[in-house]
Amino acid sequence: MIVGKTRIQLEARLTSPRWLIVAVPVLSVLLASVVGGVFLLLTGHPPLRTYGDLLNNGYTSFYGLTDTLGLATPLICTGMAAAFAFRMNLYNIGQEGQLYLGMVGGAWAGIALAPHLTPFIAVPVVLVTGALFGAAWVLVPALLRARLGTSEIVSTLLLNYVALNLINYFIFGSRGFFRDPSTPFPQGRMIYESARFGAFGTTNTYPTLLISMFLAVFLFWFVRSSNYGYETSVFADSPSTARYAGMNSTWLTTSVLLVSGSLAGLGGAMYVVGPAGKVDPGLLQIGLGYAGIVVAALARYNFVAVILTAILFAGLRVGGSALQASSDPVPIAIAVVLQGAVLLFALGGELFRRNRVVITRVIESHQVMVGEVS
Amino acid sequence: MNASSEATQGSHRENGATPFALSARNVTKKFPGVVANKQVNFDVARGEVHTLLGENGAGKSTLASILSGLYRPDEGTVLRNGIEIRLTSPRSGLSHGIAMVHQHFRLVDRFTVAENVVLGSKGLTFVLQPKDIEAKVAEVCEKFGLPLDPRAVVGELSAGQRQRVEIIKALYHGAEVLLLDEPTALLAPPEVVKLFETVRAMTSAGKSVVFVSHKLGEVVDISDRITVMRDGKVTGSVKRGGANASRLAELMVGREITLAPRRGKSDSGEVLLSVSQVHLSHDQIKILSDVNIKVRGGEILGIAGVSGNGQRDLAEVISGLRQPNKGAVTVCGVPTSGLGARATRKAGLAYVPEDRLGTGLAPSLSMVDNLLLTRERGFLVDRKSALTEAEGFIEKLEIKTPGPLTSIRKLSGGNAQKVLLARELFSGDMSRVLVVCSPTRGLDVGAVEAVHTLLDEARKNGKAILLISEDLDEVMTLADRVIVLYRGKIVLEARGVSEDFEAVGRAMAGLSA
Repeated sequence: MIVGKTRIQLEARLTSPRWLIVAVPVLSVLLASVVGGVFLLLTGHPPLRTYGDLLNNGYTSFYGLTDTLGLATPLICTGMAAAFAFRMNLYNIGQEGQLYLGMVGGAWAGIALAPHLTPFIAVPVVLVTGALFGAAWVLVPALLRARLGTSEIVSTLLLNYVALNLINYFIFGSRGFFRDPSTPFPQGRMIYESARFGAFGTTNTYPTLLISMFLAVFLFWFVRSSNYGYETSVFADSPSTARYAGMNSTWLTTSVLLVSGSLAGLGGAMYVVGPAGKVDPGLLQIGLGYAGIVVAALARYNFVAVILTAILFAGLRVGGSALQASSDPVPIAIAVVLQGAVLLFALGGELFRRNRVVITRVIESHQVMVGEVS
Repeated sequence: MNASSEATQGSHRENGATPFALSARNVTKKFPGVVANKQVNFDVARGEVHTLLGENGAGKSTLASILSGLYRPDEGTVLRNGIEIRLTSPRSGLSHGIAMVHQHFRLVDRFTVAENVVLGSKGLTFVLQPKDIEAKVAEVCEKFGLPLDPRAVVGELSAGQRQRVEIIKALYHGAEVLLLDEPTALLAPPEVVKLFETVRAMTSAGKSVVFVSHKLGEVVDISDRITVMRDGKVTGSVKRGGANASRLAELMVGREITLAPRRGKSDSGEVLLSVSQVHLSHDQIKILSDVNIKVRGGEILGIAGVSGNGQRDLAEVISGLRQPNKGAVTVCGVPTSGLGARATRKAGLAYVPEDRLGTGLAPSLSMVDNLLLTRERGFLVDRKSALTEAEGFIEKLEIKTPGPLTSIRKLSGGNAQKVLLARELFSGDMSRVLVVCSPTRGLDVGAVEAVHTLLDEARKNGKAILLISEDLDEVMTLADRVIVLYRGKIVLEARGVSEDFEAVGRAMAGLSA
């Protein structure tokens, strides 16, 4: 691009300095706040005070932070689900649906199996069942992708709508197994108490947070050190190299998608074990599945970073909701605008991590355009 | 103009009476991390064939791209008939009569020859008039002796014919100076001869041709002048008759190199690889028919042939990646057909595929991770021993890399190939059979020598090597025996050194010997 006598060019970096890895996300959050600030000004809310409230409600107050951690718990799961598949270039964007199915599976286990189990293993059974249901929801897209090369993006996305309608049917459309029989009001049937975790004190944080954080650290180690992680990196980099080395691509593709689905399903089951205790259509409004994709992208598919980005996002959501309920209500949409802006700036920042901007002065020499040359 | 054999430093020379058709003056072009051209001077006279010779990465393609308008120089100027011009795009180059034919053709497969030729020209009628266009294209074909049917669909043409389409396209658009980038890379020997005839026809019509090449052998015949580049600089310029292959090679690599053939000592080793009566077809199209091969320990069997005559499929069948419809493959006495790649490797086969970065190596992963690729791995990967191994290879094979943890993509082609060969030759269980495909394609002369030495050493150590290569020179330099594959069949089996080079060349082109 040439502006006046100055030429602005992007040049690929041969090495990225380490400080940029930190600077880019920090700057993207700051720039996103500026953009959000413009929206706040336009809607007549003082940006600084609103941000102060947001920070306080989302992160810096005790209950704000514990609410945020509670919401981050399933978000870490869907973030890991996206990261696990995306790092192998398998774009499972059906975390939303897999999360709902995890909720359904968890609730089923919590109602049907829990009475026959000792309390000690009831919770793990609920969580594992939820994970299995999440995996089952991605089984068909996984097999289609592995066997026929069908785009998993389309199939997993469409199944989200099926899952959504399934939940609505269970609670609103039928008097079936998952609906509370004791009241005409449409709500889910509670699972057995023995299959639930209590919250930490009076907070909204549950022990499941520790499980999802532990899983994230484990996966961080697993993909780097295990043969399975190694094979997926080779396959992601070059499928033809994986074939050359005799790796089983059908197995790799299928298993990665199943693990991804089970992680999202686990997130749904954690919601059942923790705050909800039932199939809760209220979860549908939060969009934890899609947010997981954003969380994974911001973390650049690094599982430990997923913990941090999930907490960042959950805080925006919690703080945003609190603003809505304050004396000077700020629409929740502003939090969504902020989320979107953070993502856009972070992805845009990647450009500057990989390239540097070179500004040179154009020196006009007496070069001539020759019009007619025979 | 005397034909002295002295190389003149650069070719910076002003010619008062007749200006050069095209010149570069003090051209410098930088890319991130490299200076591709440093103060380069280059002149092409009217009616001459001027070859730009150099190793890969010497900067010759960059120079050609600057001369044709694809790149703009950071410093320096381009002159056309002695007048400074400023090229902003290949189209502006064409408006000055300069056209470049790229190594990888830029044609639309589904269009006819005529449609491809007129593509991009101004002043076409809204509704195309195919008959008029075809007539005009046929006219150009005839004028320069380029036999081609204007109505043929490009997708069905051979590489040589496609190249002709590119040349016709340039001529149709009024090109006076043609830059041909590695024009012989995809051609069989008889097609090269035809190309040279075309080039001669063009120069006698007063047009200038710039031949960009790294193949020493063939450019000596065709060129009126050869300018050699190394590391972005012009190292010398030699006129016709003054060129001597070893002197040019020295200018290219900056030191003396040997191009002498290498042979194994005896053929008394035991048969380590045998392929018997292998047939392979895909969608009812025969790819391999009745292929029989035996390779003994301590010998290199060369398979020559133009790309696409079943060589790659044969390599995949032998390495267990594909299953033949009929026939058997035996590696070190173990029948391996149908067992898959891992089992075949276990039986003692190492395989260096043609596509080294996309198949043999995982380009984004490190050298350490790439060494792990063909190893037996447990639940956890053992990077420590691979790291030690990588450091050993870097030292022993003089692999130029920032370190064993740098991704392979950042290595030059030659160094990447060294990593691949090191893994396949020395890593793990020390396989006894090696299948190598086009091991030196795209490598510079120095790297070619290193690869050939590695293969020669492996032969001396008693390995059975099957060398599949399109580069006939390479096969003739290294192999103890040569087989020519044409349309999936063995059409010629040549024993020993003395076999006629020309017979192999003819067999490659499908002409009966």
